[in-house]
Amino acid sequence: MSQLNYRTINIDVLDPDSSINFPMDTLLPATLPPPTTSSAAASVASEVRQLLRGGDPEGALRHVLDTAPLGGDDRAKEVHLAAVTEVLQGIRQGEMSRVLEGVCTGDGGAERADCLMKYLYKGMASPVSGAGGAQSPRKSVSPQGTGFSQIQGRNLGEGGGGQQMSVLLSWHEKLVELVGTGSIVRVMTDRRTV
Amino acid sequence: MPTPEVHHLFHNPIADHSFSPDKSTLAVARDSNVELYQKSGNKFSLTDELKGHEKIVTGVDIAPNSGRIVTCSQDRNAYVWERTPSGWKPTLVLLRINRAATFVRWSPSEQKFAVGSGARVIAVCYFEEENDWWISKHLKKPIRSTITTLAWHPNSVLLAAGSTDSHARVFSSFIKGVDTRPEPSAWGERLPFNTICGEFLNDSAGWIHGVSFSPSGNALAFTGHDSSITVVYPSAPEQPPRAMLNVTTRLLPFNSLIWNGENEIIAAGHDCEPYRFGGDESGWQLTGTIENKTGPGAGSAREESALHMFRQMDLKGQTQADTQLKSTHQNTISTVRVYEETNGVLSKFSTSGVDGRVVVWTI
Amino acid sequence: MSTSLRPYLQCVRSSLSAALAISNFASQTSERHNVPEIEAASSPELLLNPLVISRNYDERTFIEPSVNSVRVSLKVKQADEIEHILVHKFARFLTQRADAFLILRRKPVEGYDISFLITNFHTEAMLKHKIVDFVIEFMEEVDKEISEMKLFLNARARFVAESFLTPFD
Repeated sequence: MSQLNYRTINIDVLDPDSSINFPMDTLLPATLPPPTTSSAAASVASEVRQLLRGGDPEGALRHVLDTAPLGGDDRAKEVHLAAVTEVLQGIRQGEMSRVLEGVCTGDGGAERADCLMKYLYKGMASPVSGAGGAQSPRKSVSPQGTGFSQIQGRNLGEGGGGQQMSVLLSWHEKLVELVGTGSIVRVMTDRRTV
Repeated sequence: MPTPEVHHLFHNPIADHSFSPDKSTLAVARDSNVELYQKSGNKFSLTDELKGHEKIVTGVDIAPNSGRIVTCSQDRNAYVWERTPSGWKPTLVLLRINRAATFVRWSPSEQKFAVGSGARVIAVCYFEEENDWWISKHLKKPIRSTITTLAWHPNSVLLAAGSTDSHARVFSSFIKGVDTRPEPSAWGERLPFNTICGEFLNDSAGWIHGVSFSPSGNALAFTGHDSSITVVYPSAPEQPPRAMLNVTTRLLPFNSLIWNGENEIIAAGHDCEPYRFGGDESGWQLTGTIENKTGPGAGSAREESALHMFRQMDLKGQTQADTQLKSTHQNTISTVRVYEETNGVLSKFSTSGVDGRVVVWTI
Repeated sequence: MSTSLRPYLQCVRSSLSAALAISNFASQTSERHNVPEIEAASSPELLLNPLVISRNYDERTFIEPSVNSVRVSLKVKQADEIEHILVHKFARFLTQRADAFLILRRKPVEGYDISFLITNFHTEAMLKHKIVDFVIEFMEEVDKEISEMKLFLNARARFVAESFLTPFD
């Protein structure tokens, strides 16, 4: 106990009324769906795969966004993110605009658009959180790889994950064209994360 | 649509502005002072400065009948200014708050005013004759964060407040001896002080930036940082509202909104121009912008001399400087206010913004 | 330049313009203070969900919005050790002159090379879209600069090696 430096204790944390202890769950609306499990998310993923294989990319995207586990646990969210990424990668560049227009209009279209925007940002953030392996290969370069080579321009080589990111980025561009920056603002404010 | 009347006062942010009822005086909050402008011809010129605050002034409001001015600032104080033959005389208000005051508005009866604050309270202030000072009562529960905005119900008892805890709330600020008992309405029947008549949260949360009661007082609109506006129609006391309609937009967030009759709302904010929303209990939607884009901004895209063009290309590597927005306001609009109305229907409204402009728009 | 640079910058641009909707806000934790909430982090409700925009694992932008300030952090691509050293030196050079850049943060956020801190006072004094332009341009320029420096370094190393290894006549 004598080791404890009382000067470094943040006493605000100990006061339940202080603003640092703001109850964040009060920002969640009452309409939040009940938590889903990862197995439920997995079954959605297989349904979506079927739709995608059946040549209905629009239906697949619509379904996967409608079933987003806003109240789920982290595991369920991860499984669902994988499903969304799969759908997004499964849709060809040329079809994007048409599919998006179909998904983001009609009943509940605005919510689906906001949900898709959340997934795009989550998709881009995910390699960072699960990084670990992503950067380590570079650190372990052999002494030979000191960069004294002019064979490769810096911007020609895609880093790891470049392919997946460029898919997400082009979806992002199309989506912003369609639903504007308001949707990005809502990704930031909405505490119902995906 | 006639072109809006633009008054470019200075190059500082205007946190709040207020016109006197005859529209000849304009009070604007600039840094830690409030400046009073007098209309001469169609220009406003600086006549007076209300000095007294030490930090940024966040709110200013002129009472339409008595002509008193109330100001509040981040230095935790509010003053009521009265015109005397020897100039404006401030009276300190005992707010009893220990954080910044963020917003102030007179009640329609002018007996009271409300000050929002970062101390998670709203101070409802009224004049006490025997002691000859303004004292305050606090609305506290269940506010969990800074109050950003306030709006009075026409009956001067109900008060709507928006907060950074993402909730818009309706409180009763009934003070015995000052207020007359209000007519029962859909918001509530018996209304002792600090009754919560409604508490609303959007699905996508977002700090509330603006609240407003409809002219009849039977509907409440609020706008938040999630780029949406929400209209609430209460049903009966203690009951969930009859309808709560949320309109999400593709724009940046709005900072302030006002009603135009019962079926139109005007909102403005970070997109630097005012927008209209229309609807009723069955649904609301964005109906368009008020600005016609042939304003001064668009006009400046005129042809320029070849010399000028080449000079631009040489200096900046671009043919045209895009340092001007196409809108009348050149930066975020912070306040929208009613300028001229008859029975709740607007004919003119005014906006002020971070760019130091006050603009009067004709609908 | 690679084909995916444009959508990347486009995405950063739209995300930044959305995040820059900030306004004056006095601290609710300390009396008579007005501090960037993203740095103080004293009230969780005043911070919004952060956004990550990545072009690939090595190049990403991290945007942390709050009620009166936004922190933008860049990770510049470093393919090998030389680039790592160059980026480090370059970032150090800039951050030591942070005063001249107004919005540059003196110390980058952990895991990133360069950070900007944009507060409501910046958006009041400057045009918002021009601040966004500046950040975007900065991103392009840094990339170009590092490439150039690397080529330069290589050329010099080659010259040095040649003159060292030339056999005596």
